[in-house]
Amino acid sequence: MVLTRLQELAEVTTSPPAGIHVSLVDDNNVHNWNIVMDGPEGSPYAGGKFKLLLVLPTDYPFKPPKINFKTRIWHPNVTFDEHGSMCIGILKPEAWKPSSKILSVLTATQNLLLEPVPDDAVETTAANSFKEDLAGFNKTAKEYTKKYAK
Amino acid sequence: MPPAGHRPLDPSLPPSTEVDNDDRAPYTPGSSSSLSSSSLYKHLRTPSTSSLNIRHPVDLRAITYDGAVDENLVCPICRCPLVDPVLTECDHIFCRACITDALSNTKLCPIDRSPLDSDGVSRAPKMVHNQLDSLKAKCPCCASSFARSMLENHVEKYCPEANVKCPGIYSEKYCKEVVKRRMSGRGCLHYPVECPDCKETLLLVEMEEHREASCNEKLKACEHCGVNILRCKESEHHEECPDVIRPCNWAEYGCQHEAKRTDLHLHADECSFKLVGPMADTLKKEIKLLRSDMRSLAETNHLQERRIKFLESAQRASDRPMELMDLSLANLPESANTEPLDSGHEYLLSLLESQQSRLSQLSNELTDFQGKNTMMLLNETIPIKNELSELRSTQQVTCMHVRWLMRFRMQENQRRFGGSPGPGPSGSPDGGGSSSDLPFSRRLSDSAPRDIITKL
Repeated sequence: MVLTRLQELAEVTTSPPAGIHVSLVDDNNVHNWNIVMDGPEGSPYAGGKFKLLLVLPTDYPFKPPKINFKTRIWHPNVTFDEHGSMCIGILKPEAWKPSSKILSVLTATQNLLLEPVPDDAVETTAANSFKEDLAGFNKTAKEYTKKYAK
Repeated sequence: MPPAGHRPLDPSLPPSTEVDNDDRAPYTPGSSSSLSSSSLYKHLRTPSTSSLNIRHPVDLRAITYDGAVDENLVCPICRCPLVDPVLTECDHIFCRACITDALSNTKLCPIDRSPLDSDGVSRAPKMVHNQLDSLKAKCPCCASSFARSMLENHVEKYCPEANVKCPGIYSEKYCKEVVKRRMSGRGCLHYPVECPDCKETLLLVEMEEHREASCNEKLKACEHCGVNILRCKESEHHEECPDVIRPCNWAEYGCQHEAKRTDLHLHADECSFKLVGPMADTLKKEIKLLRSDMRSLAETNHLQERRIKFLESAQRASDRPMELMDLSLANLPESANTEPLDSGHEYLLSLLESQQSRLSQLSNELTDFQGKNTMMLLNETIPIKNELSELRSTQQVTCMHVRWLMRFRMQENQRRFGGSPGPGPSGSPDGGGSSSDLPFSRRLSDSAPRDIITKL
């Protein structure tokens, strides 16, 4: 079934949404995708290039894909460690629908960078900072973007 | 001249018995097999093309469709144009396989997440099926487009690039390989031959592709123009190579000149046959035209002769006596069948014609018959009438005679009886004379001329 939805890969590689670039990690394996996402303008991540790894489970599209940030990012919904686990509504197993597309997952990720959801946070320090001291949060986020997302 | 082994490769060569013999040679020890076994062989070697067909289940999710497919005909799960579409209780359409997979994970509709069971899934409306069936898709083998519903049939029965069983499966070799349909007419090609270019040994079935694509020695400089060409396309190149020595255009009519293809036009101006050549050409064309005309005329002539023959036979049938007419009419189609006609139309036409002629004949005969009848009637009645008048006159004559005799007898009687009671014949002649005189004179006035006639 993954193979039949390969056209999704063709779709996002040939005409990707603005600021997103998609390629296969290994040409012989369609399950692992490399994604490079530009930090969206109007967010503290602007100017940075964030690497993400998208893994399609074997029973995709019945199970949601997994997305991890390979570039460290200071964000309430992404763990600030080597895993870079992201918490996003559309990818939660109970929220996932087989009819959802990778394209919508990628745009949702972009939107998450623009508008963090601190109530659903995985990185509590960042979430608290975002809620209580937005300027300070933005400053830290910008610093980390400069440091890691080159 | 290429070696015999690679001759079947030439696509222009029709699969002939000669080619068959060529193929067979490698695996029949001693090609001098007896005649009976070779004819048996031939029977085995020419299986019907349909018997070679292989079932080709076409993966409808893997094929390419012509143009963009309507988003409404795409399964939301597999993102392909729907295959065996089903409708859920919540009015969503999916492929049957996709929704079955989805429901085995979670009993929710993959779109609106409403509770859904496999019982809540039914076949999608016919219209959806029809729309999907009429989608144009490319054949996975030959890349020509067909309606999706026809694709499987095309691949299984007609596609020249699709695999079929090797015809060798019906030979003594029992070849289990597959071969492209367009190559299946040449018998089993699964035996090793040597590439005439690189001397590598390959199966004959792979040779064509090898010589065109992968052979190390596939290229060769043209001996005339020096350009690198594919060896296997050499003869085709010679047909258009600019440096090949070609005879003059009018060589056919006697010009001896030869030049490179590119230089031939220089000679054309000074060729001594440049005036005669075109004329001969036109004459040739004319003759060809006339010949074909003649042939077509002969054909029509033949046809008409046949029609005449048919009409004649029909005529003969219609000349039979009246009481047999119905029978002969009923027999007509059979008699027409004995005349072999080219087409059904012609047959019907001739049938119609014969019927028409028969009809006109019948009406003619009818009028004839009527005339004859009246004539016969007249001929019969005239003598009867004559006789009747004759009889009438004789009867009148006899009547007169009888009357005269009666009167005569009465007079006799009167004279006899009147003489005995009366005084004598002197007295009686007065009375008798007066009494007999009256009827007598009356009779005279009545029928004197007729009396005279009978006396005469």
